[in-house]
Amino acid sequence: MNIDDLMDKANNRWKSLDIWQPMLISISIVMIVAIAHKFDWETNTETDPENIWNEQEINKDGNNWTINFNYDIGDTIIFKGVLQTSPTSETYPTDIITGKFSEGEGIVYTEDLYGKTMLNLDGMRILINGNLSGKFYESEIVTVEATLVERVGYFEKSDQNITLTSELWMAETDDVKLASEKDYYYFALELLILGVGTYFTIKRTKNLKEQMGFAKHIALFELKRGMKAPRMIVLGLFFTLFIVGIGWLLGDLQNSQSTFAVQNADDGIIRLAYFTFFVVSMAAIAVSVDSFHKERQSNTLNMLLARPVNRETIVLGKALGLSLVVGIPAFLAQILGLYFMTSAGETPSLGGMIAFLIFAQLMIFTMITFQLCLAVSAKTGSDVVIYGLGAWLLFAVVWTLIVYTISFAIGVDINAENFENDSNYQTFASRIGLLNPGIVYQMAVGLFTHRTIAIDLEGVPGWLVLLSLVLWPLMCLRTATWLFKREMKG
Amino acid sequence: MAASLLELNEVQKDYRIRRFGRIIRSSNALNKLSFNVKKGQIFGFLGPNGAGKTTTIKCITGILKCDSGTISIDGKDIENNDFENKNKIGFLPEQIGLYGNLTTMQTLRFYGGFYNISESIIEDRGGKLLDLLGLSKSSKKPVGEFSLGMKKRLALAVALLHEPEILILDEPTSGLDPRGVKALRTLLLDLNKKGLTIILSSHVLSEVQEMCTDVGIINNGKMIRQESISKIIDTVEKTAIKLSLRLNNFTKKDQKILEKNKGIRILENNNLGKHKRIILSLKEDLIPWVTDMLVKNGTKIFSIEPHNTTLEDVFLTETGDKE
Repeated sequence: MNIDDLMDKANNRWKSLDIWQPMLISISIVMIVAIAHKFDWETNTETDPENIWNEQEINKDGNNWTINFNYDIGDTIIFKGVLQTSPTSETYPTDIITGKFSEGEGIVYTEDLYGKTMLNLDGMRILINGNLSGKFYESEIVTVEATLVERVGYFEKSDQNITLTSELWMAETDDVKLASEKDYYYFALELLILGVGTYFTIKRTKNLKEQMGFAKHIALFELKRGMKAPRMIVLGLFFTLFIVGIGWLLGDLQNSQSTFAVQNADDGIIRLAYFTFFVVSMAAIAVSVDSFHKERQSNTLNMLLARPVNRETIVLGKALGLSLVVGIPAFLAQILGLYFMTSAGETPSLGGMIAFLIFAQLMIFTMITFQLCLAVSAKTGSDVVIYGLGAWLLFAVVWTLIVYTISFAIGVDINAENFENDSNYQTFASRIGLLNPGIVYQMAVGLFTHRTIAIDLEGVPGWLVLLSLVLWPLMCLRTATWLFKREMKG
Repeated sequence: MAASLLELNEVQKDYRIRRFGRIIRSSNALNKLSFNVKKGQIFGFLGPNGAGKTTTIKCITGILKCDSGTISIDGKDIENNDFENKNKIGFLPEQIGLYGNLTTMQTLRFYGGFYNISESIIEDRGGKLLDLLGLSKSSKKPVGEFSLGMKKRLALAVALLHEPEILILDEPTSGLDPRGVKALRTLLLDLNKKGLTIILSSHVLSEVQEMCTDVGIINNGKMIRQESISKIIDTVEKTAIKLSLRLNNFTKKDQKILEKNKGIRILENNNLGKHKRIILSLKEDLIPWVTDMLVKNGTKIFSIEPHNTTLEDVFLTETGDKE
């Protein structure tokens, strides 16, 4: 095949994409902006503070000890990293024992440290000339513009007076900023570009107004039908009771000393999100399990396909309608669950509660569209049921076992006590969790219990969780429409 | 001469069997099929089982996409004007699929929602159609309790609700009682008089012969003949006629002699008590040779009766179904 043939093929492929061209162009630009975003961080900040910290040289030479970095005094660096601990717990109290050397912090405690915060940024310690308690929180991704200074301290060790001349990274309180302050500019630009692409793609779509009307028509039809379906009535009652019961239990466990104690209200809502996914995903799969197969069997699909309605519209309408069938009762059950949780315990953050309610609808839509992909592909009734059951078991039941197995295979010692607190395991579990819409939902709820999306969720940045949350339903919807359209080709 | 309303040009369609997204087998359904239907025609679409009739209809109605070739309605390609063209088509499939929990009016409201017609028009027009099709008395019953014939009539009401320009009917009379068939025929002829173009795929050839103005015969995915009914029958009459003979005896020897002649086909060979009846298809000028041969072999001929050529004869001749 020569270059002309390839060009012709590429040209034809591009032309066939037609309405998707603006969207694809915008996605390409967004990717360029994202690369520029990453490049900006990499060139203007030090994104691996731990590495600099580990390179420090401690020289314990007689009574004169020194701590040196590979930098000159007065050098200033902007560090970017995750707060490993809460600044509140890292602020020196007035009852600090002075004259004590802390090797982990590279400092001798003195009275002038009172009320100052020693940040733990990815394991690197930076002394803040002020109190950051309540201003920043654990897991937040921040930038710190710190300067290397020299500090002399004295302490006793084995009845010997030691003089410590240490180099120390210091910053003012105003030099600590949330990384999201910069990220938001990039995200806004990326969203704007994506919005323009979407706008022109929508504008190119033929008979969009009519097709959207048809999608609404199908959605309302599915909603009315689904709400009357006996299986939905049974499942709705079941998951409402389950969510309410678990909500009350999680509230009660906040005041408990038991093994299963819930740390706080935000921890409670994250757990409630998991249990909501556990039952609601089952209902989502159950209502959509035979949506295409049954219609094929009863020939209603051909009647529908002969109308001036696109296949994409049919999938969208069905997905919206079925999502509402599960989403409306789930929303009510969640409100009840929240009410019982807050009655028995404390009130979670507002962001967490809103995310818990709103993102549940996205999660339901994702599970419905995921099941529609399987329903479109299934050839027989038993295929449909097996696929649906398999999907639910995979995402809601056996996921943790799969994570354990893969973790073991990649060298995590899963026999060790508290191995779940191992940072390698947590990072792996979080990253692989992005492949499970339920975990993504849970992480997104967790993210919104914080005040910013510049959060590190055990190795996964907040923006990636949000991106997954949006990509999951879009990818499933696109795949379902693609599979359904492929049928047309016979 | 009326303009073509529907035109198929070299339409090719294969069915593919996929496993894990890869095509493992494919079979040809339509093989460069071309034909056209003019405005105001009642076009009979004939062909043996598996000839490609339903596939053709599915391609026209947009349920399937053809691999190559073009299908146009009023000169507009259906692929680029799917929405506009589907608004011009009313479709009655062979296998009726209606939602069993809906009533007749709810069904009409649901399907009517896909056309640019208001709720009040749907109710008004739907009511008249239900009256016309004898379904107004069953308006409160869920469709799931309907007989097949009733479902077919309701599906026809659905197909006519948006006042299409072309009505495509796939085996419309299957499952209908004789009264239903007659009512349907009257209705279709009436609608045709008002300007509706009708495409009718049917196995009931007498029905096609009675109703259609034009016929297309498809075999192995190819249009093998497309002409007006009168012309198609004329042509066959010139080539062969049907002859019914009542004889005292019809020996194997007679049969062999007749079969040796390429211009003669034995269609039937029946015992009628003491007599035998054979039906032959042959050219007119061979009749004296047949009678001479039979008499020479000692056979007595009690009667000779020529038959009118029917569409069935044409169909069997054209599709090569001679056995």
